[in-house]
Amino acid sequence: MSEDVIKGKVLKHDTQTRTMHWIHLLAFLILGITGIGFYWDIAGIANIFGGPANSSLVHRWTGVVFTVAPILYILLNFDRFSRFVDTITSFSKDDFAWLKTMGGYVPFIKVEEVPPQEKYNAGQKILGILIIIGCLLIILTGFPMWLWRDVVAPATLALCYNIHFWTAIIMILLVLGHFFLAAIHPKSRVEFSSMMLDGYIDAQITAEHNAKWFAELQKTE
Amino acid sequence: MSTLLSDGVIHVSDKCKACDHCTSICPTHAIKGRLGEKHHIEVRKCINCGQCLINCPFGAIDDVSMVDERIIKALKDPSKFVVVQEAPAVRVALGEEFGQAPGTNVKHKMYAALRRLGFDKVYDTEFTADLTITEEGTELICRVFNDLGVPGYEAFGPLPQFTSCCPAWVKYAEDKYPQVLPHISTAKSPQQMFGAVSKTYLAEKLGIDPASIYSVSVMPCTAKKYECDRPEFIASGFKDVDAVMTTRELAQMIKAAGIDFMSLEDEQADRFIGASTGAATIFGATGGVMEAALRTAYEVLSGETLDKVDFKAVRGFKPVREATVEIPVKALGGKVLPVNICIVTGTKYVDDVIEDVLAGRSQYHFIEVMNCPGGCVNGGGQPIRRDTY
Ligand code: HEM
Ligand code: SF4
Ligand code: SF4
Ligand code: SF4
Repeated sequence: MSEDVIKGKVLKHDTQTRTMHWIHLLAFLILGITGIGFYWDIAGIANIFGGPANSSLVHRWTGVVFTVAPILYILLNFDRFSRFVDTITSFSKDDFAWLKTMGGYVPFIKVEEVPPQEKYNAGQKILGILIIIGCLLIILTGFPMWLWRDVVAPATLALCYNIHFWTAIIMILLVLGHFFLAAIHPKSRVEFSSMMLDGYIDAQITAEHNAKWFAELQKTE
Repeated sequence: MSTLLSDGVIHVSDKCKACDHCTSICPTHAIKGRLGEKHHIEVRKCINCGQCLINCPFGAIDDVSMVDERIIKALKDPSKFVVVQEAPAVRVALGEEFGQAPGTNVKHKMYAALRRLGFDKVYDTEFTADLTITEEGTELICRVFNDLGVPGYEAFGPLPQFTSCCPAWVKYAEDKYPQVLPHISTAKSPQQMFGAVSKTYLAEKLGIDPASIYSVSVMPCTAKKYECDRPEFIASGFKDVDAVMTTRELAQMIKAAGIDFMSLEDEQADRFIGASTGAATIFGATGGVMEAALRTAYEVLSGETLDKVDFKAVRGFKPVREATVEIPVKALGGKVLPVNICIVTGTKYVDDVIEDVLAGRSQYHFIEVMNCPGGCVNGGGQPIRRDTY
């Protein structure tokens, strides 16, 4: 690891990416809160949204936003998205090594040196894959539950509800973990502003956390 | 006093997940609630068919049970002589609850199981289904003669004649089209005929006081519970049918009694008169009543015995089907009388047919209405299927 202090900032996430992330986040929050309200029959939640039927309407139309936002983003940024998918689906020796050390995030795993990472570390790659699969599952069950509720067989509808619910629970847990690392954990909360605010992140931090990507950035400069 | 008539047989429990699947199933739009909102049934409109119950993805709809309050109580009461009848559609579905493929006929094991459960006599609805068919067929002939102006038949109702054996359909007609009631056959359903016979002919034949006879039926149908409690079915001075259980409830009783159903030895039903024609076995499918009653009418009118019945045109699975049968009428010098028949499977498809009848546009002579898709085999009291397609 370099001992020199690297000055300046690097742009990590551009405006469109950040916008999409914000929209998706807010939609996810509303969907998660209303959805939990349905499952556990929480009148307090339903009433915030104007009763159960309206809460369901909010849930479904927010679901449309939740679906359309990433689709628009992907269509407008196809290259960027393909690179993202490439990155998160290719695992190198360094990634496996990173996973063994848990990236140095876990206090009781003693770590000498964390292996160099790309734009996303191995943990973020796994999260990315799980979020994409999760979104697909929840979208592909949510719309039939809404639009085909009359025509699908009862058992299929029940299956959709189960997949929808359990995917939602797993995603909510993943997103909570993601929030903790990206906004609270002292080692990584610096990432926060790169997605939630101006898109920039400290060059020094990048050089340490995403050494391979940083090297690439310097090559192209 | 039972609350079945005022509160209905079918209720949504608080397990409802508000998925809104049932509103599209209900033939009478009796189920209220939007997606996301717990649903409830408007008793006034509900015809107790139980289609919502067997189609609820979350098992959140229940039917009122008569098992504990009535049937088990009667079985335990030594002063009661408990007889039971089972509808044709029960025997081909009961096996599903014991791991058999749908359609497997388990009637011999069913008779055996009912005896193990303590029923004093185990009869079969097939016999009175034959009676219903004969009644409806004869009534059809009388209505046709009335329509043709044959003297002596003025007292009979108008054409077309509707079948009367589906209590869900009958309640629908009463609720929505009271003007059509004179067109509905005056014959009791097989269940009620059996009940009446059990309190009269059977009591006499067995030498038992009809007051101590307790008449139970096993039905593929939840609407039959409503039918059995209707106040008019007491012509003999006793309640025709005292209690109804569904195919599902029979399976539960068998399981609760610890009976190993599939290893029971085959047994026969008790007989109380002659043999069944087998006509009734097709009762469970749509077109069954129609086909059988028409066969009766044909034989009476033409004087010819049809050894091969070939009304296949009336079978099938489209909701409204029609056919014409040419009957050479002996009484009219062999004049061929075309009888136009129609089968409506699903009460939600009957409105147009009724509108035509009321407007005098209908070409039909005989119309069968069965509420459940495919007929009683898919009734609201049958085992719940968990197919995903
Ligand atoms: C993407 C589009 C989505 C659509 C079209 C959609 C649609 C639906 C529908 C139709 C229901 C049925 C209940 C009702 O509406 O009252 C439902 C339930 C639910 N949704 Fe969604 N949803 C979507 C996304 C999400 C997301 C992202 C989450 C979680 C973060 C979520 C969590 C839930 C939960 C927990 C339930 C209750 C499930 C149950 O009762 O078993 N949904 N959703
Ligand atoms: S089908 Fe069942 S769970 Fe769905 S709304 Fe109707 S009663 Fe409720
Ligand atoms: S029992 Fe039949 S009529 Fe009554 S609510 Fe259910 S589907 Fe509708
Ligand atoms: S079709 Fe048969 S099972 Fe269905 S309501 Fe009518 S009598 Fe009952």
